[in-house]
Amino acid sequence: MSGLIRFFIRKIIARFITFFVILTLTFIIPRLLPGGAFAYLVENPNIPPDLRQVLIKQFGLDKPLLDQYLAFLKQFFTTGNIGISFSRLQPVSTVIFQALPWTITLVTTSIIISALIGMLLGLYSAYRRGGYFDTISVAISMIIRSMPGFWLGMVLLIIFGYYLGWAPLFGVYTYGYQYSNILDYIGDVLYHLRLPMITLIILSIPEYLILMRNSVINILGEDFIMVAQAKGLTDREILIKHVFRPASLPILTALTIDVGFSISGAMLIERVFSIPGVGRLAYDAVYMQDYPLLLGVVIYTSALTLILVTIVEIMYSFIDPRVRLE
Amino acid sequence: MRYLKKFIDAMRIIVKNRKGFVGLILLLIPVSMAVAPNLIAPYNPWDIVDKPFLPPSSKHLLGTNDVGQDIFSELVYGSRISLLVGVSAAIAAVFIGTIVGLFTGFYGGLLDDILSTITDVMLLLPILPFMILMAALLGQGYQNIVLTIAVFTWPGIARLIKAQVMSLKNFPYIEAAKAYGASSMRLMFRHILPQIYPLIVAFVILRTGGAILAEAALSFLGLGDPTQKSWGGMIYWAMNSGAISSGRWWWIVAPGIMITITVEATALIGYAIEEYVNPRLKGE
Repeated sequence: MSGLIRFFIRKIIARFITFFVILTLTFIIPRLLPGGAFAYLVENPNIPPDLRQVLIKQFGLDKPLLDQYLAFLKQFFTTGNIGISFSRLQPVSTVIFQALPWTITLVTTSIIISALIGMLLGLYSAYRRGGYFDTISVAISMIIRSMPGFWLGMVLLIIFGYYLGWAPLFGVYTYGYQYSNILDYIGDVLYHLRLPMITLIILSIPEYLILMRNSVINILGEDFIMVAQAKGLTDREILIKHVFRPASLPILTALTIDVGFSISGAMLIERVFSIPGVGRLAYDAVYMQDYPLLLGVVIYTSALTLILVTIVEIMYSFIDPRVRLE
Repeated sequence: MRYLKKFIDAMRIIVKNRKGFVGLILLLIPVSMAVAPNLIAPYNPWDIVDKPFLPPSSKHLLGTNDVGQDIFSELVYGSRISLLVGVSAAIAAVFIGTIVGLFTGFYGGLLDDILSTITDVMLLLPILPFMILMAALLGQGYQNIVLTIAVFTWPGIARLIKAQVMSLKNFPYIEAAKAYGASSMRLMFRHILPQIYPLIVAFVILRTGGAILAEAALSFLGLGDPTQKSWGGMIYWAMNSGAISSGRWWWIVAPGIMITITVEATALIGYAIEEYVNPRLKGE
């Protein structure tokens, strides 16, 4: 038990150090670059002088760098905020906390569903290695991995949204609609999120399919499979009881790396489907040159990734206790 | 002459592999567009040649865009920027990755620990927000996109090169060279590096596809160079001109298919080279 706790503490400390480095980088980079974010702010003639004074004060640009850094850290760790978004005139943290739930919903559901589907398809692909199903699923996986994800979203949106009318063209709510109760609201949101989620799931399946397929092929070559066959177990029993669990371990490792990819993918998909998540914020921030908001997006997407990765690692340590000994 | 012979040898290896052959055929499409766009495109992509928003017709294969430029001509000329950005970003990333991988693999120790930490973290984090931040801070321009992509994609390459270097440095011929008094630099650059050339070429080709996808993503978020035409930029303008809500699918589908073909081609050729370098991979 103490080994387990030590494992958790070590993981959490490592992740926290990583996050601290990112936080420091987001502080340093815009201040270091010549003509960077804050030069733009100070020299921009479109910003009225009184607002400029407020902004310079807000970022403490008139103080020594170390004071600025300490104030930055203090503000982040006490309020979670890193400044005022100058396109929305609200604290960055407020803007981001409104957006994060959308991104979290998209990322978590798509990872779970695509991992499950990908593992099942990969298992079957490996079992029928060299057959039609295997050849076709591997080929399709390679093609999907070569597509720009956001482009697939746009194509699906034109087909199912514009031509077939099965999905709304943009947004997450039906405008001007009065919800009678919470279920009604959830139903409407899910109706709007259906197509973006399906897009993200399609985009993630190939990764898991190929990994699972290779993992199962390795395990099918092991001696204990021959023992199981010799005992007279059916193929189905062998696949479910003896192959699935050991083969799925590499998938869990891959999940940790996939979290970051999925967040990047979801950010692009949000722009396609006009979902008000952090991807949409990043796009708006670039468009409005709202650097505090953009820095906030970097900080919070990193934090989200590190938290999700740590959760996956802790789950993994329960399924495969060997990793705790690392 | 020596390089020409090597090139022909490499081509022969790729063509013999079924995946590599298909990849080369696919790659001919964007490459021929980029080499001789004036022979393929019917118009200058910057000229306003007709009314805006025309649907596909025999006169304009893919219709016209929001200002009346021929979309098919844009597509043909766009291959130049997309390929150029892809190849240069891939070369830059592989260059950094190779140097870092060579030194960390050869010396190991603390250098290796530092690299491993950086690589682990960079592979874990969502790189898109970081790339958006960097591209936004550097400002528009294709050199900046190349730099941004290279900065965030080298760690994976460094890790793979490092693994190769670590196994090569224990080979007897290295020990022999060392016994003859070869310096560390000479060992690294004369004796180890040439052994991983095929791998480096495979990485450049594979990474070109990834870099083309990254360029498309950044352009799609409005971080592309508005003075140049690329496939990602075309999708951006199509999206911003309401191509989805007006059902102009050809405007979106065409550049995306070009990206997919090019990336798929680089993946297939990359696999072919990897299978040649590492025959155990065959049939997987």
